[in-house]
This record gives sequence, structure tokens and C-alpha cells, in this order.
Amino acid sequence: MEQIPNQPTSIAVEDGLRDLQNRTLAKLDGDFARLVYLASTRDYNSGRYAHDGLSFRFTEEVAERVLAEAHRDVFVSLAQRPMKILVAQLEQYINSGCARPDEILTAWHELEPFRILAPEHDDPITVKLFISNIRVALAIVRESWRENQRQ
Amino acid sequence: MSATLVLLWIGSLLLASLVYLLFRPGAESDDDSCLHDGNSALPSARFADRRKEQLERIFGREDWDFIRGSTSEQVQRLFLRERKVIALAWISELRRQAKSGMHLHVARARTSKELQPVVEIKLAVDYYAFLAKCGLIAAIVLLGGPMALRGMVGQAGSLSDNLRGMLDAALKPEAFSQKTGIR
Repeated sequence: MEQIPNQPTSIAVEDGLRDLQNRTLAKLDGDFARLVYLASTRDYNSGRYAHDGLSFRFTEEVAERVLAEAHRDVFVSLAQRPMKILVAQLEQYINSGCARPDEILTAWHELEPFRILAPEHDDPITVKLFISNIRVALAIVRESWRENQRQ
Repeated sequence: MSATLVLLWIGSLLLASLVYLLFRPGAESDDDSCLHDGNSALPSARFADRRKEQLERIFGREDWDFIRGSTSEQVQRLFLRERKVIALAWISELRRQAKSGMHLHVARARTSKELQPVVEIKLAVDYYAFLAKCGLIAAIVLLGGPMALRGMVGQAGSLSDNLRGMLDAALKPEAFSQKTGIR
């Protein structure tokens, strides 16, 4: 008889979300860093999420659901924020020390890696709006960074 | 006299469109795919708030006021170009949803034993009026430039409401399920 895959219970997913929030996401500096982190837990080839710590404490299925939900929440929240706040969030991420600001600004402008930050989403317009907003926010941050370099 | 002729011509066009929608060749396969995809055509209630936020972002003034007040002309041009693309994509998505809804409705109507011509004609009129409004707003966005985008949130909101109302009318499940057994 074929075994039915385990469906994570909503209680387990809630516990997992709390765990992810307290142990990992709370330590990251801003929603942009959280979005980049959560997108990086997704396998490029399969599109599935994986996290050793969460899988160890819960199960692989719970970890996958938790990461997918957290990713979607952070993404939607960022995608619909006013441009002013998005620019501040992007500046915070660029200045957080993950790489040299000029390197990030150049790489993001030329390669547009932010295109893969969107989760598997049911609303294509939200994804388009997010990518478009990041493009504009990036132009604003680049302009402001160049201005600061000149002074 | 000429006004009467124009009205008659529009009426005939709408009737012809309705007949075409109901009996066009190849409609069966399209309709089948829409039946499977029927739920995605309906704007779900859980996205209602998100839609409102989305409209504010795309057509509202807040972002433009910020951009205009604190960035260079180059960034302003980029912003307006990006917003125009998004606005057109949003209108195109509404049209897609309306078309999906109508295909699903037509698929059900074709199997219905008690078709109500008046209701069908009203729905067809609403549908083409909606498509015309989409076209008009797209033309304003496309040709009107920066000024057209500002403050269009009201127009876009009413378009979104029109779509919801039309889909509600077109996809009343109880009406057809009683008559045809389709659920």
C-alpha cells in the first residue's frame, strides 16, 4: 500500500514559524536581509525549501512549509510598501556589511539578482511591482551613494 | 435618424458577438481548460486588501510625490516608465480574468437548458463595456504620459470593482448547477 506523505499540522507550522522568527529572522538586519536569506533557502533546481536546523527540530515537510510561508509573508510585505520605506530598507541592507556597497550596487544594477527573490507566487502583478520598485529604489540608492562619495 | 441607426448597429454587433461566443468553433477546448482553471479567474476575498494596496502603489500619488520631491530627473523618468509598464500589466491581467470568467460562463451557458437571453445580453453588454473601459484606461496610461498616471487610483478601483461584479454575475454556481448539474 502506498504511503501518504505526512502533511504538516498547522500547530507544527506555527511552532516552526515562531522558531524561525526567534532564532534566525530576528537576528537579521531588516526585511530586505530576511527576504534575501529566505530566498537563499530555496533550491534553484527544485524550487524546494530546506533548512537543516528546522528539519532537525521539526520535520523536512514542516521546515519546507515554514520557510515558504515566511518567504511569502516577507515578500508581500516588502512588495507593497511605499517607495520611501523600500528605499530605506534597501539602504539598510546595502550598508549592513554583507559586501562592499559599491559592489552590491553595481552587481544588482547589472545582473538584477533581485529577480529571484520573489517566492513562487500566485499573483504575477505583485512580483512585477516588486521587481519594478527595486529597480527604481536601486537607482535612488545609487544616486545617493555617488553623491555621498563626491562629498 | 442616424443615432437610431448607430444604436441598431451596436445592438446587432453585441448580439452577433454573443452568438459568436456561444457557438464559435473550437470553443469547446478553450472552455474545458477554463473550467479547470475556473477558480483562478475569480478574485479571491483573501486578496482584496492586497489588491487595494496594489492599486495605491500603482496608481496612487504617494510614491510619485516622494520621487518628484527627492530624486533626479533621470530617476523620475525611470519611475514613470516602470509605473507605466506595471499599470498596463495590471490592466492586461484584469482583461485576462474577465476573459477567463466569460469563457467559463459561456461553457456553462452552452449546456444550460434554460438560457435567459435578456440576462445573457446584459452580461455581454457589461463584458464589452468593461473591455472598452480597460482599453480606454490603457490608452490614457499609454498616451497621457506622467500626468495620466497620477490620481488614477479611483478609475482603477472602479474597474476592479466592475470586474468583481461582472464575474459574480457570470459565475453564479447555483444558477447553472441546478439546471445542468455542473458544480
